[in-house]
Amino acid sequence: MLEIRDLCTCYGKVQALWDVSLQVNEGEIVALVGSNGAGKTTLLNTISGLLRPVSGQITFLGKMIRGLPPHAIVELGISQVPEGGRVFPEMTVRENLEMGAYPYRVWRDKEATLKQVYQLFPLLKEREKQLARTLSGGERQMLAIGRCLMSRPRLCMFDEPSYGLAPLVVAEIFRIIRHLRDQGITVLLVEQNVRRALEIADRAYVLENGRICLEGACTELLENDHVRRAYLGL
Amino acid sequence: MTTVRILEIVIPGLLLGGLYALIAMGLSLQYGVARILNFSHGEFIMLGALTTWTLFTALGVNPFLALAMCGPAAFVIGFFIHRTLYKRLLISSPSPAVFESSSMLASFGLMFVIQNIALLAWGPEIRGYSYLSIPVNLGGALFGANRLVTLGVAIVIGMTFYLFISLTRTGKAIRAAAQDPAAAGLMGVNINSVLALCFGLGAGLASVAGMLISMCYPVHAVMGREYTIIAIIVVVLGGLGSIPGSFIGGFLLGLIGSIVTQIEPGLALVAYYAIFVLLLLIKPTGLMGK
Ligand SMILES: Nc1ncnc2c1ncn2[C@@H]1O[C@H](COP(=O)(O)OP(=O)(O)OP(=O)(O)O)[C@@H](O)[C@H]1O
Ligand SMILES: [Mg+2]
Repeated sequence: MLEIRDLCTCYGKVQALWDVSLQVNEGEIVALVGSNGAGKTTLLNTISGLLRPVSGQITFLGKMIRGLPPHAIVELGISQVPEGGRVFPEMTVRENLEMGAYPYRVWRDKEATLKQVYQLFPLLKEREKQLARTLSGGERQMLAIGRCLMSRPRLCMFDEPSYGLAPLVVAEIFRIIRHLRDQGITVLLVEQNVRRALEIADRAYVLENGRICLEGACTELLENDHVRRAYLGL
Repeated sequence: MTTVRILEIVIPGLLLGGLYALIAMGLSLQYGVARILNFSHGEFIMLGALTTWTLFTALGVNPFLALAMCGPAAFVIGFFIHRTLYKRLLISSPSPAVFESSSMLASFGLMFVIQNIALLAWGPEIRGYSYLSIPVNLGGALFGANRLVTLGVAIVIGMTFYLFISLTRTGKAIRAAAQDPAAAGLMGVNINSVLALCFGLGAGLASVAGMLISMCYPVHAVMGREYTIIAIIVVVLGGLGSIPGSFIGGFLLGLIGSIVTQIEPGLALVAYYAIFVLLLLIKPTGLMGK
């Protein structure tokens, strides 16, 4: 579904991604793990069109999408839940969700989508009229996920959705990710919680210093010595 | 104080306030959303005012018809300026801070260019015309009909604009882009178009305000600078990026101006500066800022 080949991305003169190749098949949950500063956010932002790669290819459903602006990428069905949620603080919960349905493809059906999202997150319905900046960290992350779903994505990319949240909220977020897969939405999951990520995903990539150093089925990676030592603390 | 006396202060204050509100809402879009502290803002006011004056005195065109032409024309010019000049600066700026300073300098340049073209076209003379200046009795006090109509039009345009920003799909995109441009892009908002739209709308509002100003006050080729400063003060007063803040802040400053003018004409601008400095010291986020 999503195929990335030899991708290189730079910030000015500093190169952050080196020849990254990665593939996500329809219906999969693919985890992308790596330590701080490995380049995970950079990779998601390059896919989303916020950053322009210097070389390499990105194809989505057979279409070359490298170099397209972010709004064109969303229109094609790739949505991102950015690091920290990035909800619009001075908009209400409902307005934030409506912004998620901004692409023309989904704007007309936004009331119906909103109902589904409220079903998935009853709490957001209760807080409908509240400004997003008054939400708790967990609620904000739920809102960010709900807002992403409002665009009816085919591929949903999460950037560290569980970061800094209480265990109960983390469990809730992983429950939702599993639910999305059951709904037929493909997931690319960036996580610092490596154990949980490898448990939920089908396959995973390990990114170190801007390069993919390991990839494979999660069951294998959970047994891999390097992964066990560097990421699972065993 | 008698009711008449109060009315004589409040109505001109509201009139001034309505004009300030329009000007400030325009700048609020340019500075709060597009991050351009536009020093050429007042020049669009001046262009609106002098064009209306020319159309009225030379061709007998009704000022409101002039408004219907100048507003959209200024919008198109503003949109085009953003698409060519500011978009390029944005692309070549390594960080938002660099863009804020380079765009401000560019707007300074634009200010001088437009001002000098206006001086060539219209000369430095002070111009004015009389339209609808029939006195109207309001609670015992007399006001020119042109002033009351101007106040009404400013309020209607301001409110319409507020509703547009609050309720429409595009208005929401503008607010989202003001709060987090990258996140707005991830929602599917075409950021470059929204920024150009905001700059164009700001220019359009300035030109409409200029037309209204020409109906009530004398106008000339270098009138813009004072209004640019006032717009900046109101935007800070109302809270950066807050459209309702600019609307309310405009009326507030207009009322203050009117009261000060009653006590000592000529001190209004000094009072504005004093408020500005006090505000920066006490509450730099403004009335409705966060
Ligand atoms: N805006 C930027 N300008 C310059 N360098 C940047 C920028 N953003 C990230 N980098 C650099 O690029 C590298 C990758 O950063 P990135 O944010 O992609 O890492 P990450 O894997 O998401 O880390 P984390 O787990 O901390 O979120 C880092 O070395 C970082 O310093
Ligand atoms: Mg990151």
